[in-house]
Amino acid sequence: MIETAPLRFDDLALDLQRVDEFGLGGRTPTLAVAPHDTAALAAVQRRANDAGFGVVVFGGATMQALGNAPTRYDVAISLARLTRVLAYEPRDLTIAVEAGMSVATLSATLAQAGQFVPLDAPRAATATVGGTLAAGWRGPRRTTYGSSRDLVIGTEAILADGTHAHAGGMVVKNVTGYDVGKLYIGSLGTLGTLVRVNFKCLPLPPVRRIAIAPLSDENRERALAHLAALAIEPTCALLVRGFDAATPDVKSDDPRLFVLFEGSDAVVERATRDLRSALGAAGIPSTTIVDRNPEHAFARVLDAYIDTLGGRSITFRSTGLPSTVLDRCALADEVARDFVLRLDTIVDLRSGDLTLRFVAPKKNAFVQIAATLAGDLRERLVPCTILAGDAAARSGIDAWGSQPPAMAAMRSLKSRFDERATLAPGRFVGGI
Amino acid sequence: MPELAARLLSALGPEAVRSAPEDLAAYAYDAYSEDGLPSAAVIPRDAREVAIAVRIARECGEPVVPRGAGTGLCGGAIPVRGGLVISFARMNRILELDVRNRRARVQPGLINLDLSRAIARHGIFYAPDPSSQKISTIGGNVGTNAGGPHCLSYGTTTNHVLAIEYVDDDGEVRSTSLDDIGYDLTGALVGSEGTLGVITAVDVRLMRLPEAVRVCVAAFPDVESASEAVSAIIGAGIVPTALEIMDKLIVSAVEAHYHAGYPTESGAVLLVEVAGASDDMDASESAIAQIARAHGALSWRAARDAAERDALWASRKGAAGAMGRIAPNYYIQDACVPRTKLPQVMNAIDAISAEYHIPVGNVFHAGDGNLHPLLIFDRRDARQVAAVVEAGTAILKTCVAMGGTISGEHGIGYEKRETLSMVFSTDDLATMGRVRDVFDPARLFNPDKIFPTGAMCGEVAQPPSAA
Repeated sequence: MIETAPLRFDDLALDLQRVDEFGLGGRTPTLAVAPHDTAALAAVQRRANDAGFGVVVFGGATMQALGNAPTRYDVAISLARLTRVLAYEPRDLTIAVEAGMSVATLSATLAQAGQFVPLDAPRAATATVGGTLAAGWRGPRRTTYGSSRDLVIGTEAILADGTHAHAGGMVVKNVTGYDVGKLYIGSLGTLGTLVRVNFKCLPLPPVRRIAIAPLSDENRERALAHLAALAIEPTCALLVRGFDAATPDVKSDDPRLFVLFEGSDAVVERATRDLRSALGAAGIPSTTIVDRNPEHAFARVLDAYIDTLGGRSITFRSTGLPSTVLDRCALADEVARDFVLRLDTIVDLRSGDLTLRFVAPKKNAFVQIAATLAGDLRERLVPCTILAGDAAARSGIDAWGSQPPAMAAMRSLKSRFDERATLAPGRFVGGI
Repeated sequence: MPELAARLLSALGPEAVRSAPEDLAAYAYDAYSEDGLPSAAVIPRDAREVAIAVRIARECGEPVVPRGAGTGLCGGAIPVRGGLVISFARMNRILELDVRNRRARVQPGLINLDLSRAIARHGIFYAPDPSSQKISTIGGNVGTNAGGPHCLSYGTTTNHVLAIEYVDDDGEVRSTSLDDIGYDLTGALVGSEGTLGVITAVDVRLMRLPEAVRVCVAAFPDVESASEAVSAIIGAGIVPTALEIMDKLIVSAVEAHYHAGYPTESGAVLLVEVAGASDDMDASESAIAQIARAHGALSWRAARDAAERDALWASRKGAAGAMGRIAPNYYIQDACVPRTKLPQVMNAIDAISAEYHIPVGNVFHAGDGNLHPLLIFDRRDARQVAAVVEAGTAILKTCVAMGGTISGEHGIGYEKRETLSMVFSTDDLATMGRVRDVFDPARLFNPDKIFPTGAMCGEVAQPPSAA
């Protein structure tokens, strides 16, 4: 029987799940359910809300490390049964899916019609559309294609009290009412649960090619200047240090430049040629071209962003201007030296996003130092948030580390959308 | 003198404040057909003065209506309940240009085109380009999440706004940025038509100018066949930077005025722009031309040089203005449908035009499914005025029935607020009301805009009880 006093769910269309699969920050819920449809999901939330219970929604759990542990956690809601395509007319270049669909399934569905939605989610086979959006994930191609907030054209969310709230629609231009959909994206589920998402799609580029080249400290500056001057801009340009699993084709102690070109055969050919000669002129002898299965090579890089090396690492993310990203990286290096930790980095040269993975030799090495490490880092870098890390490694660290200027408006928004703090209580910035 | 004007004068001085009825008449209207006289208008120089003005208006219990260039077509800048109009005519500067990071901080009164012109020498541009860009302002564009022909590949204003500084309902200057952690308030402010706060600065994203641009014109026997071609181009996975259709009526008006060389004999003209790497230009053009011919294109021509390209664009963007040559009055609608529905919706608009005896010209962003039927009438004839309103509503209903929406880029404003419930349920509107509660519980920022009467009061918008 599906019930927990004083909540009864046995009249609803849902599966009961094992609660130990939904642990979060050392806490386990009393009940875990996978609703079969949005009506059941809305009913679960409404009843939990009425009873004063805390609810956390789960997609693929690939990015649950993003927030703090919930301050109340009674019910876990899994999106595992909400995985359907709701509408797809390829000639409209739009698609509507349920939020529990995996990002890989979305990509496969679209690829059959020669289209894609560049969410760039790590661990795409597990990550869900809803979870990726709730996490506000911004991938390495966002400067070219936009991030999830730019690709979503419509949303249906279930608010804490069970209200079904739609925003946007199935058209690519829309200024009909407030763009409420933007508020759920990056909200970590604290304003409502996304159950349906409409995307605008793009035609798949005919050719993808990856170029990887180690850059030593001496020639780095020249190489990056040449790169910035290329006539054809790469869709993604990263400087990867450490993260050995990200580029198995090229092993080097130096940071590796990782560049993705996408477009027609002619354009990608020319881009590759220009890149080789630009790097050559900067004194970089060898550029490795990955032509076979570039999708897999790109996915390995995406997966690296949240790889915790079996609990031996904590990964932070710093955002800021592209022109400051190398300086920010150098500041993080100071902290790594102080703590005698290895620091793996992904510098996103186009967006300015900086990913910092502090690696310890042993799994429990962070227990003593995590809080001081985060404090020292955040003295230099603001904002600097947690992206990945096991609960044990990062206990005692606030996931967010700072508050935005508009904190008061955000608190007010939370209380207006979720008056009883039912959804993901305490997980978001400023204790929201 | 009313209290509002007197207090503004004493705080900001006569340079910044207008209160004489003959001066206020200039702030009573926008490009929609109605008007309303404010009690006072302020022309501030900076955010501090905006904040002072908002605080005084609030203390007087008066509404605050922000105003850019007044080009809005839906009455968004009309002070329908009087109160204070804040004009951004003096806040029209680029505050910071950061070429390296491709961003600029601008004041809201900056004219859209002035930005791209000022930065072109750095090889960068600001992508959203509403047809009004020669006169409309960035602040107004942000308010309506303005589009333009090039949205097809570059996205609308919301995709190009990185941060916003605004004055809130307490008269405090606040800021929000996409690089901040927390909720995407920036995204919520874009398109909110002045109902959530008064924007005092905008950080915009700039893009690198494309290496090559090609503009082509195809003639079609009618709008339906041109629309079929557009659906087929998009369906084939080709996304040009712009795909615009003008029908015969519009082309004849445009040609009479601009002489850009559009074919005037055919039923419709398709304007195609592709931009990007020079290597792609020939292949893209020939792929698109082939689809156009397969859908009945009568001719195909590429602009020879930049001058011809610019002339084609200038006349396309001047189309609504050129209508003045052939129509006493026109009412421009704005709606958006899924792209495969274009041919069907064009047929439906023909039928509506015939049913209401209202001639309709069509000039629209076909690639986005974004329609702009121009309903032609004479406002001195009450029968025609009534028929235009009914025909306009019939068009909106048709678009919604086809899975579309009632505004693609002009906004809801005053004009369409009662039709918002065609698209959204009471719960949907109440959810938007929750957002409004946060920013403007007193409903004094641009009141009577966007939302239907009654949708934001009573049980759907109770302020939260103290937690």
